[in-house]
Amino acid sequence: MAQTTFPAETPAAASYQQARRRLPMARALDETRAFPVILIGPVLVFFIVWNVVPLLWLLGVSFYQYKLTSARPAEYIQFENFIDIWRASEVWGLLGRTLSFMLLTVGGATLLGMLLGFLFWGSGKLPGRRLALTLLFTPMVLPPVAVGTFYRLILDPIFGIANFFTEKLIGQRFDFLGNKDLAFATTIAVDVWMWTPFMILMTLAALASVPKAELEAAEIDQIPWLKRIWYVILPNGKFILMLGILLRTIDAFKTTDLPYLMTNGGPGNTTEFVGLSLYRTGFEAFQMGEASALAIITLLIAIAFASIYLYVLSYRETRAQLQ
Amino acid sequence: MTPTDLSREHAALVKAAKAGNLNRRELLARGAALGLSATALASLAASQRVASAVARQDNPLAGQTIDMTILGIAGWPPSRLGVDMANELFKPYAQETYGYDVNFSFEESPFESLFQKAATSLQSGSAQYNIIISDSQWLGALAEPGWIVRLNDIIAENPELDIQFEEAAAIGYRIYPDGSDNIYGFPQEGDTIAVFVRQDLMTDQAERDAYMAANDGEDLPQTYDEWLEVDIDRYERICQHFTRPDENLYGTAFQWSKVYDFVSCYAYPFMFSNGGEAWDPATGQVEGIANSEINVAGLEHNKRFLQYAPPGATNYGIAEEVDVFTAGTIATCWQWSALGPQMMNQLVPGEPGEVADEARPVTPDMVLIAPPPGFPQEDGSLNRVYTLGGQPWVLNAFNDEAHQQVAIDFMKFWYLPETQLEFSRRGGNSAVTAVLDDPGYEELQPHFAAYKYMIRENRSKDFWHDPNYAEMLAVQQEAWNGYIADVVESAQLALDYTACEQQGILYDAGRSDIEPSEACADISI
Repeated sequence: MAQTTFPAETPAAASYQQARRRLPMARALDETRAFPVILIGPVLVFFIVWNVVPLLWLLGVSFYQYKLTSARPAEYIQFENFIDIWRASEVWGLLGRTLSFMLLTVGGATLLGMLLGFLFWGSGKLPGRRLALTLLFTPMVLPPVAVGTFYRLILDPIFGIANFFTEKLIGQRFDFLGNKDLAFATTIAVDVWMWTPFMILMTLAALASVPKAELEAAEIDQIPWLKRIWYVILPNGKFILMLGILLRTIDAFKTTDLPYLMTNGGPGNTTEFVGLSLYRTGFEAFQMGEASALAIITLLIAIAFASIYLYVLSYRETRAQLQ
Repeated sequence: MTPTDLSREHAALVKAAKAGNLNRRELLARGAALGLSATALASLAASQRVASAVARQDNPLAGQTIDMTILGIAGWPPSRLGVDMANELFKPYAQETYGYDVNFSFEESPFESLFQKAATSLQSGSAQYNIIISDSQWLGALAEPGWIVRLNDIIAENPELDIQFEEAAAIGYRIYPDGSDNIYGFPQEGDTIAVFVRQDLMTDQAERDAYMAANDGEDLPQTYDEWLEVDIDRYERICQHFTRPDENLYGTAFQWSKVYDFVSCYAYPFMFSNGGEAWDPATGQVEGIANSEINVAGLEHNKRFLQYAPPGATNYGIAEEVDVFTAGTIATCWQWSALGPQMMNQLVPGEPGEVADEARPVTPDMVLIAPPPGFPQEDGSLNRVYTLGGQPWVLNAFNDEAHQQVAIDFMKFWYLPETQLEFSRRGGNSAVTAVLDDPGYEELQPHFAAYKYMIRENRSKDFWHDPNYAEMLAVQQEAWNGYIADVVESAQLALDYTACEQQGILYDAGRSDIEPSEACADISI
């Protein structure tokens, strides 16, 4: 192992030598191969205990017919839970709804977030900017249980303030959460409201990562804004933006709390998504085997999304390397 | 004379004296009689106290402090009442009678998630919740894995617990499996559906005239007895009359929400009252029964009332109905009778008529509570078979000996006549036949007459007690609420889907030998 060396006269070298004298154990560790293992060990143990073991357990349970309330021992049924899910027409509807919800919420929050992010980026000298940003981030930090409950009350057709205004403005009240044509759109709107600040944050972070020199050069050359975004900002900030989109996609795919509180998945199954269905299968029907199988499928879909994003992210580089 | 009679007689005497209805002689005579009775009862109580002092010394728990936890339903007044009375009344009673100190804490969860809270704890063999206020339909799911105590032996050893309950309660809140003699629960509170009526609107002369003009001289029902004669068709006309969206007034509200069992409980009366059934508990047959023509017509009939309800009623559950009724938005409302005081905006605990929230436009004097409408039969009679509400107490099978003994002592206390009287006085629905038979019972609370009428003579019945209850219910709620909200295109489809899915659930669980038919493969919502 290469030893760390400092020029003899620097203060860093002096303190390094002092540390070596004081901590022979530390020095011994520093010089062995065990050091990186010791550093990474606790993280690995944590990961194995809290991630790998439960995941393997989940995988195992998915091959069993196991119902908490049946008083019957778990029965090994191979892939039957997965086959049942594959055959169930409701599951395809469920996945379709969930994917639509995911695309619309992530798309909406990303577009709005980028737009507002750019506006805030360009308003550096505006008085009250910090306060406005803080207020804008409020929806994101509110617990979904509070958001769901507030919106259920706000959108109530009789007592809700939203309908007070719609009646004043257009003379009509809407059953936002009970009407089959409105409930899905309303749930999406609330989710977009809640998560747009996150995309603003990611956009601001992405913009901060763009080298100033390139932006100044673009400004001197008077490159149009759209081209500036495409050729200067996106190449530099795309990783952060894509990270934000990836996190939102995975999160939106497993959304449970918001529809549970606002509509309970209704009317009918209009706002029932994979997360809520998973919860119902596991903790209302207590079908642990079937719920585990659905959880594994959900996990695989989330991994697939992550892979697609990472591939898209590195596509240009890969293509350039190939050429 | 029992303490119950004594308390009532005393109240009546004070009331009469205050009103000046008694002359001096009558007052003295009745006061003396009452005094004698009280003396006799006091002597009896004194002798009981001597006996209990002896019993107290022999009690192995004497001198100990026991902490008990009751798991009950959040936001549900009868659950809260049970726990409040445990702390207020049982605690000193236990000290006096058994010589131990007991503290009750209350864990709660809403209807829709209470079973999960109980099941996940009980599944691990935990005695975290010593007594659980379960919903009646959960008996099978709690009993089958051995999580709750089979009470037959306890009742045999403690004859005080061998009580005559109302038949619907004795079966619905206690027995699993259906038809067996296995007792798993003690009725905590009985409950039935009642119709809550804005009496100020019904008696308004202008309303009566307008209604009569529109309905060939038929008048609006004015009294409890007249409501007994109201059939579902007349009720629909009443709802239609009061539906005026421009005045923000609507005819009725039922529970149509997808949450828990809300839409099921309020759609079943349209099926049960016309001879429909949920299933055959003996064979586990659902297909062909749950989706019968009667049930399809019943679900369609139920949905017809949505046009007389406020917007957003497809999401109405218990709390939403209380809000909308006490806000003065609806003229009538189907609701659990246990919520009588809350629906009337009456103070709890308090005397009948005391207003709870002055800001609410509806006050107790404006409300009449009656049995819900009857369903006309071919012979011209009216039939009412509504869904049974209410909850039993069940005892955790993992309790240690001390906690189990305290739980049993508490049950004995709960069914003492004076405890049941106090429970009733605070607005709770007793399921003990002797309490309901008491001549003054119906005057104790405004909702008791309707409750008593509906819990008797098979006018209320429960549905499945099967361990697969939650799964069967989830399927049904989704399909029925879907139909009500126009997501599922027809009642036939909603019921076919429900029947097929439930048949499959029972078959897969080994609860029925009947497989779903081949037609089920093509049915989805």
